[in-house]
Amino acid sequence: MERNLIGIRHLERDDIEDLIALSADFKLRVLEDRPLPVLSKKVVGMLFFENSTRTRVSFEQAAHYLGLKTANFTAGSSSMSKGETLKDTILTLRYERLNALVIRHRLSGAPSLAARHFGGPVVNAGDGQHEHPTQALGDALTILERKGSIEGLRVAIVGDVEHSRVARSNAWLLSKLGAEVRFVGPRTLIPPHAMMLPGKVFYDLATGIEGADVIITLRLQKERMAEGLLSSIGEYAAMYQVNRETMRFASPSVLVMHPGPLNRGVEVDDVAADGERSAITSQIENGIFVRMAAFAWTFGEDATAKAKPLSKKA
Amino acid sequence: MRTLLKNGRILDPSQDLDIIGSLLMEDDQIVDYGDIGEPDADETYDCTGLWITPGLVDMHVHLREPGSEHKETIVSGTQAAAAGGYTTICCMPNTRPPLDNPALVDFILDRAASPEAGGVFVAPVGALTKGMKGHELSDLAALKKAGIVAASDEEFPIQNAMVMTQAMEFCVQLDLPIMAHCEDTSLTEGGSMNEGAMSAMLGLKGIPRSAEEIAVMRNCILALHTGCQLHIMRVSTWGAVEMIRQAKFLGAPVTCEICPLHFSFTDENVGEFDTRFKILPPLRTQVDIDLIVQALNDGTIDCIASDHSPHASHEVDVPFEEAPFGTAQLESAVALTLTNLTHKGILSPLETIRKLSTKPAEVLRLDAGTLRPGDTPVAQVAVIDPNLEWVFDKHKTFSKSKNTPVHGMTLKGKVMLTFCGSEIYRDALFSDERYSIA
Repeated sequence: MERNLIGIRHLERDDIEDLIALSADFKLRVLEDRPLPVLSKKVVGMLFFENSTRTRVSFEQAAHYLGLKTANFTAGSSSMSKGETLKDTILTLRYERLNALVIRHRLSGAPSLAARHFGGPVVNAGDGQHEHPTQALGDALTILERKGSIEGLRVAIVGDVEHSRVARSNAWLLSKLGAEVRFVGPRTLIPPHAMMLPGKVFYDLATGIEGADVIITLRLQKERMAEGLLSSIGEYAAMYQVNRETMRFASPSVLVMHPGPLNRGVEVDDVAADGERSAITSQIENGIFVRMAAFAWTFGEDATAKAKPLSKKA
Repeated sequence: MRTLLKNGRILDPSQDLDIIGSLLMEDDQIVDYGDIGEPDADETYDCTGLWITPGLVDMHVHLREPGSEHKETIVSGTQAAAAGGYTTICCMPNTRPPLDNPALVDFILDRAASPEAGGVFVAPVGALTKGMKGHELSDLAALKKAGIVAASDEEFPIQNAMVMTQAMEFCVQLDLPIMAHCEDTSLTEGGSMNEGAMSAMLGLKGIPRSAEEIAVMRNCILALHTGCQLHIMRVSTWGAVEMIRQAKFLGAPVTCEICPLHFSFTDENVGEFDTRFKILPPLRTQVDIDLIVQALNDGTIDCIASDHSPHASHEVDVPFEEAPFGTAQLESAVALTLTNLTHKGILSPLETIRKLSTKPAEVLRLDAGTLRPGDTPVAQVAVIDPNLEWVFDKHKTFSKSKNTPVHGMTLKGKVMLTFCGSEIYRDALFSDERYSIA
C-alpha cells in the first residue's frame, strides 16, 4: 500500500517504530554490504523549491542505495518561475509518470497539497515551519543508537522553536515515543501559543536543560534580529548557547544534537559541536538510512525488508 | 397582478410584528398584510409553516466587478443575492480599480439595474481614501451624490490615526457612515490564520486577536470623539465585542456586524491546511463563539452580514499562505444563521430577521428592512422555510465562485421565495407538493 510521509504529527507510534526499525535494518545492510531491496523501476521526483544541498544529497544517496532513479526539479529553472501554480506542476509530474515525490517548500502545507494532486507517495523534505519528518526520524535513530531507548528520556529542544519545523517534528516524535520534551528559548521565539506543542516551556537555559539526556540545538536564523525578535547574536549566545559551561547542567552523558547547518559560536560552541557528547555526524549519516526507510515505507515495500522489532541497543 | 402569500408567520422587526397572517402584493407594492382573510389574487402561495419577512439586507458583499469578473460579476452576484433572500446588498469598494470615483458608482448602479441582473437593490460602499491607500480622502461628497451609502477602505484599513480622524470629521459633515475592517496591519503581516494552538501546530504565522482589538478600540475612541457614525465590520474576537459593548455604553455612535462563518466554525476547521476556512479576520476559537453568541443575543452585535468573498477555484487550490482570504457566502448565510443561532435558541425568529434585515437597513439608512407599505420603493419580501433540512451543494449556486466550506453540510432553514418589486427567486424545492401552491 502506498502512502505519504507528510508529518510526524500524523503518524501512530507503531508507524514511527516501523520506520525506525526499517532504518536500522537498512543501515546494517549498507554497512555490512548485504543485499537491499531494489526499487529500480521507480523514478522519484526531487522537488526542492527551497535550497537545501544537504537534505537533497541525503535523499539522493538514499535513492541510490535502493536503486531508485531521481529526477531533479529546482524552482529557479522550472515552470514555477513562469507563473505555473504548484498544483499544475504536481499534475505535470504525475502525468510524466514519476512514481514518488520528495518535496521541500518554503510554505507550510505545500506537501499536503502536492499529495492531494499527485496520486503516489509524497515525502515531505521540510515545509515552511510545519514539519521535517525525516530529520526527526534520523534524530530518533541516533538517540536510540546512543541511548538504547527513547521512553523516559528528558530531551531539551533549545532555540527558535516558533520558526522551526525540526522542533515540531522532533517534539511530536519524541513525545509519541514517551520522552519528556522541553522547549528552551527566549519568549519571543517560544510565544505563548507555541505552548500548545507537545513539550514544557523553559525560558532559562540552565533550568531547561537540567538533567537532560539529549539537547537538540536549533539553528538561529539571522533574520530574527531584523524582525526585532532578538536583541543581538551576542546576547542570544550569552543566554542560550550550549557550550562547555552550560552542558554541565545537563546529564553527564548528555547527547548534543543539531540539524545543521551550524552557526558555530552562536547556538553551540566547538566543545558542544565536536566533543565526545556530540552526535551531529551520526545525525547526518543516519539521515540517509531513514530516508531509505521513508522510500520503502511510502512505497509500501516494507515486506521486502521485514521490519524487525525495535532494537533496544545499537 | 395580485400575489397573495397565505397563512405564513409574518415577522417584521420594524414593527415588532410576529403574527400568523397573509400578505398581499399588487403589482410591485405591498398593499396589505396580517389578518386579511383570503382576498382574490392572480397567484396564491400557501405559506403555512413558512416565515414571511422583509427582504433581507446584506451590508457586506464583494461583487468583484469591475476588475475580477472571473470571480463574480454584478449579474451573477445579484442573482446569488436573490437566491439568498436578499433584496438589498451593499457592494464593497475593493474592486479593481477601487470604487473611489463617481463614474464607477454609476457603472455599478447601471449594471445592477440591467434586466439580466438578479433584481436586487445594490447600495455601493465607496472607498474612504483614494485607491484605498490610506493617505488622501476620496472625493466623498461627489461619491455620496453618486449614491454611495457608506465609505470604507475594506481590507486595507487606514493605519494612520490622523488620517482616520480626518476621514471621520469629513464623514460627520457629509452624514456618511464609515464601515471599518479593524486590523492593525503591523501585527498581521504574513499571517494567514488565527494565532493559537492550530497555527503553532501547522507552522503558519498567526494573526493575533490583539491586531483586531487594538483597531476596534482606536476606531471606537475616534468615533466617540468625532461623533462619526462607525460600523465595525466582521468582528471575530470576544475582546473586540467587549470593546464595542464599552464604546456603546460610553455613547459612541458605533454598530457592528458578524459573518456567519465566525459563529459557525473555529480555527480547528483549518485542519490540514484547508483554504476554504481561510477568512479575514481569521476563524477564532470556541471561547470566542460562546461569547459572540451571547453578544448576538444581548444586542451588542447588531447585524449579520455575509461577507460574500468569491474566489476562483484555481486561486484557492494553492498552499495555505498563498490563498486569498474569504469565501462565497451569499447563498448560505441565512441557512447558517438559522441552523446555528435560531434553532439553538440564541435568537428568536423576530431577532433573527432584525439582524438580517431591519437593523442593517437602519444602520445604513436604506429604504428596506420593513413590510410597511410605502416605506420601501417596491415590495421587498422574503419567504423562508425555517425547518427545511437540506444539503448545501455548491454546484447549484448562482455565484460564479464555489469556494465555500459549507458545501456538503446539512443546514436547517432555506429561502424559498424572494420578491423585490416582483418575484426574483423561487427555490426549486418550492414547487414540491409539500407547499401545495394554489
